[in-house]
Amino acid sequence: MEFDRELIVRAQSGDRSAHEAIVNQFSAMVFRLISRFFRTREDVEDIAQDVFLKLFARIGQVRPDENFPGWLARVTVNTCYDELRKTRRRKEAMETYGPEMVGEQTVAPREPDSLGKARLALQRLDPKLRIPLVLKEVEEMSVEEIAKTMGLTQTNVKVRLFRARKKLQSMLGGTEEHSK
Amino acid sequence: MNLKDFFNAERKRVFEPDAFFAQRVIARVNERLDAARVQDLGFWDIIPSSTRPVLAIALMLILCFVAAEMFVPQMPQSGMVESFLAPEQSPAESFLYNDTDVPSQDVLQQLIAPEEQ
Repeated sequence: MEFDRELIVRAQSGDRSAHEAIVNQFSAMVFRLISRFFRTREDVEDIAQDVFLKLFARIGQVRPDENFPGWLARVTVNTCYDELRKTRRRKEAMETYGPEMVGEQTVAPREPDSLGKARLALQRLDPKLRIPLVLKEVEEMSVEEIAKTMGLTQTNVKVRLFRARKKLQSMLGGTEEHSK
Repeated sequence: MNLKDFFNAERKRVFEPDAFFAQRVIARVNERLDAARVQDLGFWDIIPSSTRPVLAIALMLILCFVAAEMFVPQMPQSGMVESFLAPEQSPAESFLYNDTDVPSQDVLQQLIAPEEQ
């Protein structure tokens, strides 16, 4: 993605118009990445705002000559990871401490279709496995790009991808054909 | 449907930012900067400007009082000569409290015995 490096220098000196220009230029990319992990517009927007707040809080650390879009993608993925972990912990707490609420359901839940089943299985995956899988399969990133974005080694990414696919297959009953 | 179809479907599911997103972000950035600025304010910045002179005078007076208490020596109730000439104890009290030249019990007995005889 092409961008004006001068924008970073201006933003570092506290220029508000440069901040706004950065948001306008990169918000679509940030929204797209967050949409891979969150399903409601409100969640996506809240997390995108957090990403830009983090970015402007650390704008002094950004070197204008480095790969800024890659750096921003890393901040975005890390923010998503933190949020997914929080959501997972909340869900686990609900399942542990709120069984009565589950028992009070009067309407039987609708049996999810195959797409819904796959979505549910993906949501249940540990964020550590889910993020590289989504970046690979949906964002179509290379292993090298995923490693850079997540701050992992390429071997580690490959291991996580393998485990994620295996786990997803077992969740879906082992009948689904997984993509290569 | 296989997972490939699912991932293809996921690829199409993207949210786009609305026209005012950048403005909302900048508003939050400004809000945060204002909050940080409030935290950086010193003692005098927090106090309203109308109250500052009154508070400054009050502080000055308190400091002057403390300085006077610390550095100006206190006048004693009576001078050295007066206190020497007019001791608080009467001669009888002075004999009772200050006389250290008390003879021992044996000497006292020897002194008392001739008088009894």
